[in-house]
Formats: sequence, C-alpha cells, structure tokens
Amino acid sequence: MRTLWHRRGEGPWPWLAAGSVALSLLMLLALLLLLSVRGLGHFWPDEVALVMPQDGQPFAGVAVREERIPGGEARERLYFTGNHDLDGDRWRWVEVSAIAAIRHPAELVVLERSRWGQFLGRLVAVVGDGERHSGEAAWPALQARLAELDALRDERDRLRDDVVVPLVRRLENSGSLGDAESRAALAAAQARIRELQSAMGGDTLILESVDGRRIAQPLDLVLRAWRPNAMTPPQKLMAWSEGVWRFLSEGPRAANSAGGVWPAIFGTVLMVLLMSLVVTPFGVLAGIYLNEVAHQGPLTRLVRIGVRNLAGVPSIVYGVFGLGVFVYGIGGTLDEWFFSDRLPSPTFGTGGLLWASLTLALLTLPVVIVATEEGLARVPDHQREGALALGATRMEMLTRVVLPMTLPAMLTGMILAVARAAGEVAPLMLVGVAKLAPQVPVDGDFPFLHLERKFMHLGYHIYDAAFHGDDVQAAMPLVFATALLLVLVILVLNLTAIFLRHHLRARHGAPRW
Amino acid sequence: MNDPRPHLSLRLRRRRVRDRLATLLITAGGVGVVVSVLAIGVFLALEVVPLFLGEDALNARELWHPQPVEGYAEPQHRWRPEPLVEGDTTHFGMAPLVWGTLKAALWALLFAVPLALGAAMHSALYMPRRLRARLKPTLELMEALPGVVIGFVAGMLLAPWVERHLAAALLLLVALPFGALLAGGLRALLPVPLQQRLPLGWAGLWLAPWLLLVGGATLWLGPALEAALVGGDLRGWLADTLGLDYAARNAMIVGLAMGFAVIPGIYALAEDALVGVPDSLGEGAQALGATRWQTLCKVVLPAAAPGIFSAMMIGAGRAVGETMIVLMASGNTALMSLNPMEGLRSLSATIAIELPEAAVGGTHYRLLFLAALVLFAFTFLVNTLAEGVRTRLRHRYRRLEGGA
Repeated sequence: MRTLWHRRGEGPWPWLAAGSVALSLLMLLALLLLLSVRGLGHFWPDEVALVMPQDGQPFAGVAVREERIPGGEARERLYFTGNHDLDGDRWRWVEVSAIAAIRHPAELVVLERSRWGQFLGRLVAVVGDGERHSGEAAWPALQARLAELDALRDERDRLRDDVVVPLVRRLENSGSLGDAESRAALAAAQARIRELQSAMGGDTLILESVDGRRIAQPLDLVLRAWRPNAMTPPQKLMAWSEGVWRFLSEGPRAANSAGGVWPAIFGTVLMVLLMSLVVTPFGVLAGIYLNEVAHQGPLTRLVRIGVRNLAGVPSIVYGVFGLGVFVYGIGGTLDEWFFSDRLPSPTFGTGGLLWASLTLALLTLPVVIVATEEGLARVPDHQREGALALGATRMEMLTRVVLPMTLPAMLTGMILAVARAAGEVAPLMLVGVAKLAPQVPVDGDFPFLHLERKFMHLGYHIYDAAFHGDDVQAAMPLVFATALLLVLVILVLNLTAIFLRHHLRARHGAPRW
Repeated sequence: MNDPRPHLSLRLRRRRVRDRLATLLITAGGVGVVVSVLAIGVFLALEVVPLFLGEDALNARELWHPQPVEGYAEPQHRWRPEPLVEGDTTHFGMAPLVWGTLKAALWALLFAVPLALGAAMHSALYMPRRLRARLKPTLELMEALPGVVIGFVAGMLLAPWVERHLAAALLLLVALPFGALLAGGLRALLPVPLQQRLPLGWAGLWLAPWLLLVGGATLWLGPALEAALVGGDLRGWLADTLGLDYAARNAMIVGLAMGFAVIPGIYALAEDALVGVPDSLGEGAQALGATRWQTLCKVVLPAAAPGIFSAMMIGAGRAVGETMIVLMASGNTALMSLNPMEGLRSLSATIAIELPEAAVGGTHYRLLFLAALVLFAFTFLVNTLAEGVRTRLRHRYRRLEGGA
C-alpha cells in the first residue's frame, strides 16, 4: 500500500483532507435537500391507500415512512389515518408482512376540518335544504357547496374586519352611548353576519370510514375536500401550489400544528425592518467615527478589537442584557411614568416588538460597524488627500468622496445584519416573542404600529411547534416547511451580501489590512 | 470697491462650522454607540454583585462545591433553583451547567476541528484557485444556517434515527475516513488517463458521491455487523457490559449538530492563516524536493500554527455560547457524567428556559445573570486572545514576506 500511495509522492493524508471537504459539502447538501423535500412535499396531495391487514378491519391512510423492527428483519410502516374523532388516534403502525392487499380506490376523500383534523374515508351523501345528493352526485354537490361556503366565509371576514371592528372601537372610544348612526350601522352589520353564519350552517355530510362506521359531519366545519387518488398530475400540481399559497398567507390553527405562518412571516419581517432602521445609522456612525475621526492610537485599536469581539459574544447574552436593561429597566420606568393606570399589568415592562428589535440591533451592531470600517479602509488614501487638497472640509470629503465609495460595503453590512437577525431565536425568547400572537402589531388602530405588542417569529415558531405541541408528529411537515422558508430567506440575503462583496472586491481590490 | 472676500470668508466660516458640528455629531454618536455596546459586560457585572454582597449573600461554596442533598449520603452537585413543591429546598450548584456547557463544546470541537482543518488544508494547498473561490462562500452559507433549524433537525430527526441505528451511526465515523483513504488507494491503481480525469485538486467534489456510496454500504452492512459483534443490540450491550445509559438526545448528537455549525467558522479562519503564509516558504520547500503534504506539515503548518490555534479558540467560543442547538438536541438534563450518550444542560439553554420565569431581582434571576456574565467573559476573553494571536501572525507574515 505504501508504495502505491507514494507513486505520486503525496501519501494517504491528503485524501483525508479532501474527504473532509467532501463530507462537509455532503452534510450541507443533505440538510438542504432534506428541508426542501420534506418542506415542499407536505403540500403534495399524497395518494390515500386502502390497506387490508390480514387480520382486522381495513383502514385508509397515507404511508409516511417505514422502519425495521429492532432485533429482526421484519419492517413496519407508519400510516397517517386521520379520523381523530372516530379512532382517538391519527397514526397507525402496521407490519408490512401483515398487509394482505393495498388498493387505491378513486372515491376515497380527504376532508380538511376545522375541528378534529383530517378525515379519510368515503363520502356517502350531502344533506341539506331538504335535498339529498348521494352516490355519484355527492362529490360535485360537495364541491359546489364548499365553493359557496368559501364565498360566505370571505364576506363574513371582510365584514368583520372592515366594518364591525372599527365601529366597535369607535363606540368604545366615544363613551358609553356613542352616536346613533354608528350604532345602527353596527347592528346592521352584525345582523348580516348572523345571516351569513346561518347560511353556512344547516348542511350535513354523511361520511363513512372504510371499515363502515358512519358519521354526520356539519358542513360548515369542513374547510376543503379533495380526492387524491382521482387527481391527475396537473391537478395535483394545482393543489400543491394552492397549498403553498395557503401556508404563506394564512394564520396557524390547532395550536400551531396546522394552517399557515403568515403572522410569523409578518412578525419576523417587521422586527427585522425595525432593527435595521436602528442598527444602520448607528453602526455606520460608529464605523465612520472609528475609522475617520478618532485618533488612531492604541485606545482606538483596543476599542476596535473590543467591538469586533462582541460579534462573537453569544446571542443569549444580548437577550439577558435586553431583558435587564430594555424590558425591566427602561420598560418598567416608562410604565411608571406613562402607563401607571394600567399597572400592575405591564405595557412596555414586558417583552415586545420594540425591545426585541433593539436587542437584535445591539446584537448586529458589530456586524455593521466591521463592514463599514472594512469599506472605509478600502478607499485609497489619495482619494481623501485629493479632496482635502482641493479645499474640501473633512465633512465634505466624507460625504462627497468617501461615503459614496463605501455605500456597497455598508449595504453588505446591513444585509448580513438582517440575515443574522432573521435567524436568531434565543434572545427573542427573553425579550418578546410569542407562541401565538392574536393581534398583529400593525392595524388600523392609532398609533397603527404597536411597539409594545408581542409578535410571532418564524424561528420561534419552529422551536415551539416541534417541541411544545401535543401531536409533534402531525406538526412535523409544517415545521419542515417553516424551516425551509426561514433558510431560504436567510440564504437569499446571504447570497446577496456575498455577491455585493464580490462585486466590491473586483472594483477596489483587496483591503489594506 | 467690491471686495468678495468678506462674503467668501462667511461661506468658509459656515462650512467650517458645519464641519465641526458634523465631526462633533459623529464623535458623540460613535463614542455613544461604542460605550453602550461595551456597557453590556458592566451591566451584567452590576446585576450580579448583590449575589455576593449584602445581607443574604450567597456563599460561593454553594455554587461550585457539592452540597448535602436530602436522600443522598454523599454531597451532590445539584441545580434546582426553584422548589418543585412547597417547602422544597433549593440548590444552586452551577457545576453541572458549566460541565454540560464544556462537554457539549468539547464534543462539538472533537467533531468540527478535524473536519474544518482537513478542509482548510485541502482547499489552501491542493485546490485550484477558482474552485477555492467558490468553496468559501458555500461554506459561509453553512454558517448562516440558523441554529434553530439545525437544532430541530438534530433533535427531531437525527436523534431518533441514531437511537435506532446506533451501530451503523458509529460505524459511519470509522467508515467515512477509511472510504476517503480507500479512494486514494484505488485511484493510484487506475490507468493514468483516468487518474488525470480525477485530479486531487477536485477531490473535494468527486469524493462526495464516493463517500455517499461508502456511507450507503455501511448502513446496509451495519445491522449484520451489529448482529455478529454484539448480538444485534448495541444499546443493550452497552448498558449490560459497560453500564452506559443511552438517552436519545445526548452529548454526541449535540456535538454533531453544533460541530456542523462551527465548522465554517473554524474553516474560514484556518484557511486564511494557511493561505496567508508567504508563498516563498512553501516554494522553497518544494524546490528542495518536498511533496505538497510534506511542505504543509513541515513548513506551512508550523508557520500558520498560531492562526489555526486562534481559529479553534473562536470555534470554542461559538460552541460554548450556542443556545438553540443545545436547547433542542441535548435533552436539558443537568447531569455530570463523562458518558457521551447521556443528556446535558448548558448555561445558555438554562438561561433561555428559566430566565423568563425567574422572579426579577431574586437569587435565581441573579444567578442566571451570573451565567450570562460567565458566558460573556469567557467568549470575550477567548476572542480577544484569538484576535491578538492573529494580529501578531499577520505582522510575522509581513516580516517574512519582506525578508524574502
């Protein structure tokens, strides 16, 4: 072996080194692939299998995964069977060898319900208004009714958000009586909502599980219905894109284990925006001070090293600082001065959007400072000297010559700061993130942006849904989708920063130090 | 006479004033930002002081030495800051938390340092320049992956998988390096034209499918080997013969996940140190007949050693402070054991879990601030040390280059 390796003279060790590059890349690729497949696959309407075990009742389910039974050659398969109201469980393990037959009948339906989760089985009849559609006619009737229901729900939600809520708020603010006009308008709107609500109810679905148990399902609790086994690939693709859209645009349901992540996206983006509003000016200011104004002595060098090292301080420490100084310190004082009528329930003296943004701004300050300094150091000295020699003051030299050349570097710093902030969760757990925030921090209510409210965050949503749900298994696909979304956002931000920096280097050459 | 001078001097004065004002503003802003950022350490220290001063001061022995615990003959290290039931005694032994932090960091480094250094050596010495320029940003992306995602995958997917396939997982640790060596050996047997199609410089890429193959084969063979060696149940065997408990979320899983997170940081700094070594040194060695690997071991590595050391220090700093990965992949049990297959609880995870519930100003609250202070001081010192080493190294390189 020795001679074999030494024919080209390098020996075995370079292969271990090369192997570690390959392994690192492989791990990164595997992680990204895993997130993409599991995250995007969740929205694909999987075929529902009708499984007949050798002994026992048949059941309908979606195959999830297969495992080898420990200590043997036999394998078992996990099926998602839904029907929580009938079976008391949503999952079923079956030994593969004990399955007599698997079929995929086209008539199996999957219902997404707002209570009890999904139903898998057969549709027997749609009953309502004295009519009964059964057999072949049931499925078209169900789809027609669901479309109507969607329209009714839309109208109800619009009415509630645009008319009722503002009216109620106006009445509350204007005292106990309020003006008669808005009271009348409110009564009319509420009557219309009741009307819509009653139009939604009344219809019932007769459903049958594949082992023959029947239930009557009120139609207004059914959100969607589909027959995956009867769908063609283009139809499935349509259903898939609809699923992705709903995930991005709807709020969570069922203790964050179903529904979408819209409030979390909104909270993350809003928090990061506020943070970059704070961190960019201050970071740039500090960078300019350290590089252009401060006397370049040992003290400045020391401060520079200190600031750089703060980038390595664990994020949780910033969280502790934010909790102690912003929330309990400043927030508590603000409460005593301005909101003493609401005490002891805190307004600013508890975690909230403002404090989270400020904490993350502090956390990302070193990133922006370092990037700005790097950009400033890259501007050749003769540019500064030229400007000064032409009679410019230092301020003019900075604003007309140096800063325009540094702009891309500052932008890079800001993007990196945003990317870092979007992925940080640990400090947020201390300063204001919420498991479920019913109120989005922006609404039509004065002052429109509610800095004291708690907010939802994509990263915390992952942690919470994966570790604190009651059926973690059911929440997993959604967590994967959320994780994929978060990673995509951060990767895009980082790629932009990398591209900018690359562009910059090509233009100005390597830094001086 | 129409002298334009007074007018000009007025403008000039206005410009000067504006300049001075702006300078003042920048100075005030800059100093303010810097001071407020550096105030973090001071604030944490101030919050901790009442723990040790004043009437109901804690005895420092209580924190770091074993204390008598009800039901145990020997004094124990115990962290139980809030009574579980009414009238329960509280224990403030922070030793298990520090132990857990160090244990997690150690396992992470054990996994990350060889991989990161190997990758740095390969890319600095063997890779074509253009490929290296692509690899660096790719690994930077790896660093940008949020801890919560890595922790989720480690805690929810990797941990249960390893629990079921422990033997195969351990076997992978041996098989993958062996697979890389085997690839080198097999390549030497190939005819020369084929060898040239598989250059060492691109090995980082073409080894990946090969390693995938080796890994797949290992997983396929794993159960058979497990059956042959330990009777098909490695976990049972470990518990019976070695007395080792196994928890699904354990130090090894944390090490793997956190190692994944710290590889890019160590890699980037180590690679900088290796690439920064003046070319003349390596060229001299190669001119004297050394192979590239000999050059690396005898010339480049000794020259870059301080830089590599500082890279490892910064990796350690990151591993000690990482919160979400430990929180999600470690099981959070405050144990003090050497067993890598048991859970642990780190300082950072403890802060994240307990601080929102701790009563403001109480002993528990201040102890968690102490934990934050410890983390802050540790990472700050480690980073300062590493930064100092790197600065000196840069000077040395410059001198070496000048002397050549």
